[in-house]
Amino acid sequence: MKTRAVLGSIFASASVLVIGWQAGASAAHSAEALTSTGSTGSTTASTATGSGTASTPSSTTSSSPSSTGSASTGGSTASTTKTYTGNVIDTQWGTVQVEIKVKAGKITDVVALKLTDVGGRSVEISNYAAPILRQEVLAAQSANVAAVGGATYTTDGYLQSVQSAIDKAGL
Amino acid sequence: MTSQTPTRPLRVSAPTPSQRALQFKRRMRLADLLVIAGWTSGAASIALYLGYGGAGQFGTLGAAVTSLGILAGLVGTDLILVMLILAARIPIIDRAVGHDRAMAAHRALGKPALYLILAHVVLLIVGYGIQQGFNPIAETVALWQMPDMPLAFLGFGLLIAVVVTSLVVVRRKFRYEFWYVVHLLSYAAVITALPHQFSIGGLLANGTLQRVYWIALYVLALGSILTFRVIEPIVKSFQHGIRVTSVEAVAPGVANIHLSGRKLKDLDSDGGQFFVWRFWTAKTWWHSHPISLSSVPTDTTARITVRALGNGSTRLGRLPRGTRVTIEGPYGLFTEAARTSPKLAIIAAGIGVTPVRALLEHSRLVPGEATILLRASSEDETYLWDEMYDLAAQRQARLYTSIGKRPSRGRTWLSAHDAQRDVSLRSAFPDIRKSDLYICGPQAWTDQVVAEARAVGLPDHQIHTERFDW
Repeated sequence: MKTRAVLGSIFASASVLVIGWQAGASAAHSAEALTSTGSTGSTTASTATGSGTASTPSSTTSSSPSSTGSASTGGSTASTTKTYTGNVIDTQWGTVQVEIKVKAGKITDVVALKLTDVGGRSVEISNYAAPILRQEVLAAQSANVAAVGGATYTTDGYLQSVQSAIDKAGL
Repeated sequence: MTSQTPTRPLRVSAPTPSQRALQFKRRMRLADLLVIAGWTSGAASIALYLGYGGAGQFGTLGAAVTSLGILAGLVGTDLILVMLILAARIPIIDRAVGHDRAMAAHRALGKPALYLILAHVVLLIVGYGIQQGFNPIAETVALWQMPDMPLAFLGFGLLIAVVVTSLVVVRRKFRYEFWYVVHLLSYAAVITALPHQFSIGGLLANGTLQRVYWIALYVLALGSILTFRVIEPIVKSFQHGIRVTSVEAVAPGVANIHLSGRKLKDLDSDGGQFFVWRFWTAKTWWHSHPISLSSVPTDTTARITVRALGNGSTRLGRLPRGTRVTIEGPYGLFTEAARTSPKLAIIAAGIGVTPVRALLEHSRLVPGEATILLRASSEDETYLWDEMYDLAAQRQARLYTSIGKRPSRGRTWLSAHDAQRDVSLRSAFPDIRKSDLYICGPQAWTDQVVAEARAVGLPDHQIHTERFDW
């Protein structure tokens, strides 16, 4: 009877671990793709094209029309891209400010001008949270998105700044 | 004396061996499932971390150390919550493995949990330090300034206090009540550690499975403590309104406490189970006593038999009539429900006779099924033996007695005299291999009986013990 409990525990624990590890490995993969495209704009866009992740590069290329053909055709037909700067938001871990790029009534990019940087891990947390927040805002086309775990303050500041920029843009 | 303890009418039929086998199988399946669930929860806490991006965070030395530190904290927290669940006296756990085995598991997890939390603190200080280029002291200062971290450090300190006071060596130096109060701090430790898990740990990011898992585990642990250790006892105590009706000396230092109450049959206690009692007089209310009923209760009366073990129990011999009594329970698997074999063997020593008496009274037995051996080191300690003689006669059970001190040398649980004439478990209980053996007495003595039972080849599921020294 005891053997059954031991074997059962080993089996159940191992399966749970493998599932978690697998899920984590694929999540890590997409997170890597995210950060490489999100943080430093056009210079990494050329490397990101090789990895073949479909949706993320297209949103960045609109701000640098030289790289792909499809984006430049869009630029010639519709209205031009306008930039709106959000308010500076004070948080416990430093100020946060973002600007949004709007084209034809749609948010096409969010650029972090300043992120939380005071105290032990703030920079690290900011670097981790910003690409995720940017992606979520672009997907939702609003500041109404879920907080990033472990980056509560950064999230709050970021989204408030986004909201103020959206207000200015009159979206 | 026997006239004061009316017995419940005999139930009609004893369970058949196949019914017992089925009952045992079910109980073991439940016990195994609980064990599996416990271990899997530890694995799940790791898996969820890996699943939400943790798997990719072992790239650099600093990141790897940090990730290990986070994992240690997660598993440690998981273990602490499992410990709370084990100590919550949840009925299903009590029925599956018994309260004493659940508590043994609880104790066994204490030190590993503390080590994991220690590792969590040390690894994170080192890991963050490496990533920031800070030395550990500067990093500790930096951590201290993060939100909710001072509280988390406080929780860590409390946890150390709880585990250290629970170490056997240290625990002997303090009164039970001191240990108990310090132990209550473990709830404070768990709760003060919570905010930093929300704000910095990021366990609770919206819409993740991780959030669901941790909230569920916290609710389960704290909720079952609240339900089964606070609310249920209060409700039951009010419902049954138990009071002391009389205290009757049985022998020097031993007394029967007669109680009255309402609807006591609804307590649904099996013979051999115990309650945790609290007697509300100015001098006794702050002690609680784990004591089994010494006879099956009627709907309005019950009886316990107490021997003076500590300061608290001494005063119980002088409880005034009408004293209000509150209860927690019933607990324990020292009952008929744990039977697995066709025959019943009972060995009790000293005050250990009390649950055995209730067990015998409550059991459905066929003539000749039960054999009983009572031990006392002197004639003065033959508490309730007259009642046992009557019960044994009524149930057509064999009853042996062994009076006298154990020999100063040698390892035996019998009196020196009986040991000398080669009495043994085998000779007293010829059918021992086909029996369930119920043992109740002092711990060291119990250990010797168990050792002999194992030596004659009795499997663990046929050995049932109840300890009284915790």
